[in-house]
Amino acid sequence: MRAFAGRADHQGVTQQTGRRRLTAAGLALVVTLVALLAGTGCVASRQEPGQATAAVADALAEAGSAGETARIAVGLLDEGRVTGPVADTVLLDQLRVLDDAESALTTLVPPDAATAARRSTGLDAVGDVSDAVVAARSWVAVRSGGDLAGADGVPSSSDDLLVELATALDATDAALAEAGGP
Amino acid sequence: MKKLLAAALGILTAIGGFVDIGDLVTNAVVGSRFGMSLAWVVVLGVVGIVLFASMSGRVAAVSGRATFEIIRERLGPRAAGANLLASFAINLLTLTAEVGGIALALHLASSVEPRLWIPVAALAVWLVLWRVKFQVMENVAGLMGLLLVGFAIALFQLGPDWGELLRQAVPPSPPGTEHPASYWYYAVALFGAAMTPYEVFFFSSGAVEERWTAKDLGTNRLNVLLGFPLGGLLSLAIAACAAVVLLPAGIEVSSLSQIVLPVAQAGGVLLLAVVVLGIVAATFGAALETALSSGYTLAQYLGWSWGKFRRPARAARFHLTMIVALLLAAGILMTSVDPVAVTEMSVVFSAVALPLTYVPILVVANDPGYMGEHVNGRVVNALGTVYLVIVVVAAVAAIPLMIATGAGS
Repeated sequence: MRAFAGRADHQGVTQQTGRRRLTAAGLALVVTLVALLAGTGCVASRQEPGQATAAVADALAEAGSAGETARIAVGLLDEGRVTGPVADTVLLDQLRVLDDAESALTTLVPPDAATAARRSTGLDAVGDVSDAVVAARSWVAVRSGGDLAGADGVPSSSDDLLVELATALDATDAALAEAGGP
Repeated sequence: MKKLLAAALGILTAIGGFVDIGDLVTNAVVGSRFGMSLAWVVVLGVVGIVLFASMSGRVAAVSGRATFEIIRERLGPRAAGANLLASFAINLLTLTAEVGGIALALHLASSVEPRLWIPVAALAVWLVLWRVKFQVMENVAGLMGLLLVGFAIALFQLGPDWGELLRQAVPPSPPGTEHPASYWYYAVALFGAAMTPYEVFFFSSGAVEERWTAKDLGTNRLNVLLGFPLGGLLSLAIAACAAVVLLPAGIEVSSLSQIVLPVAQAGGVLLLAVVVLGIVAATFGAALETALSSGYTLAQYLGWSWGKFRRPARAARFHLTMIVALLLAAGILMTSVDPVAVTEMSVVFSAVALPLTYVPILVVANDPGYMGEHVNGRVVNALGTVYLVIVVVAAVAAIPLMIATGAGS
């Protein structure tokens, strides 16, 4: 009887330990999922009008940051203060940022007409910055000895390129102001 | 004279070895978004790492054993096992970030796709771990990492408004354009970056590798008290460069290539080359340290033969652990995951794991059975207790802040 009771006790302890393990495993799973969601949910579509406008503003701020970075890189390369590979890497990284910004805008579902208009303006502005950065990469390639003679969209000088970037950034700033950004 | 030179070398190595990819990225991100308003966290983190690194160095010098060996013996296999699990996971994440950092720095110098550099970087790290003596490896990486002083030179050449930088730093408060939750999220990340657990495991195991004894306690104190704070100044210089050039332009740092723009602006191609070389050295040195820490923690917990002072054949499982960790890190990076995102994750999760690393060290450093007359004094214990509270608060707050801010976005 005592042996039986002992076994029952042992089973109880085993069950308790098993439950504890299950609870711990569940907790670990929840923490991991939450962390993953937090990490990957940075560019989520937002449905409420205020949130949707904020998402447009976030994407435009990213695009503005990328455009300003490109402007500094082009200026530094023009002055001979950075090497071609460094300038190219900077611009390539900014194209990825612009890709994310564009993706955030294209996947956004606008809840009303006003937000839809802001998104449309924002997409145009991000597209302009992307075009300017793509042109900047071509210019860097030419400066580094690349043969792009006759290719479309290659600026003839850094001045032309900086004007193109400035125009695109002005459009981004205007769209950002419209979306309630700083 | 020889002793003086050795001490100077130790200090220089500690300065050069302080900054890793986590410090580089987090300080630049923070500088570009919050100016110098989070400088106090760097100071807090440096004091913390000085406190606990000197404690773990003292434990190793006095007992002749690394921290993790004693943790298992003192706290038992279960508590030490939980510690091992968390430390190993964070270490692997940090190693992944460091190998990614090497690849990004080489990408910056060459414009060759980082994914092509990842296997090269991992192989180079393994070769050094396999072939190069511990002291040579530590000193070369640390001294080359000193090239990051280029950030401090750049800051002076930029000629910033020092008063404005000071105003941003004191009194510390989030800028009006940023949400307070994001400010605190980055405060935790910066704290995690400064107090990354691998630094302590590496420091204590390194003391055993170099056969420190109680006679070396002075050297330990000097390295830590001078080397780490001067390394902290490099971190502040990185943040300040970003605050001076990138913040006014509305640039948010999202890549390593942006971090060097202020350097190029200040010092041109030459200074840029120095800093890029410094970044390669700093990330390479940190990759060596984190890979070694993977081997140290597992081998010390399981009682395997470990250490670079032994030939690889005599510490086969220790070396195998490092190889597996490096393969895992390279494998993770080859999935095209963004190394900067991995770095940001690694510093935040480091903050989560901080209590598991630092509580046992405090316990062991107070045990006369191991430490004899070298147990912690009252002041060190008081400071250690204050830091434990901070570490626990940071660990508890890290994940909720990450969720609330969308990882600081």
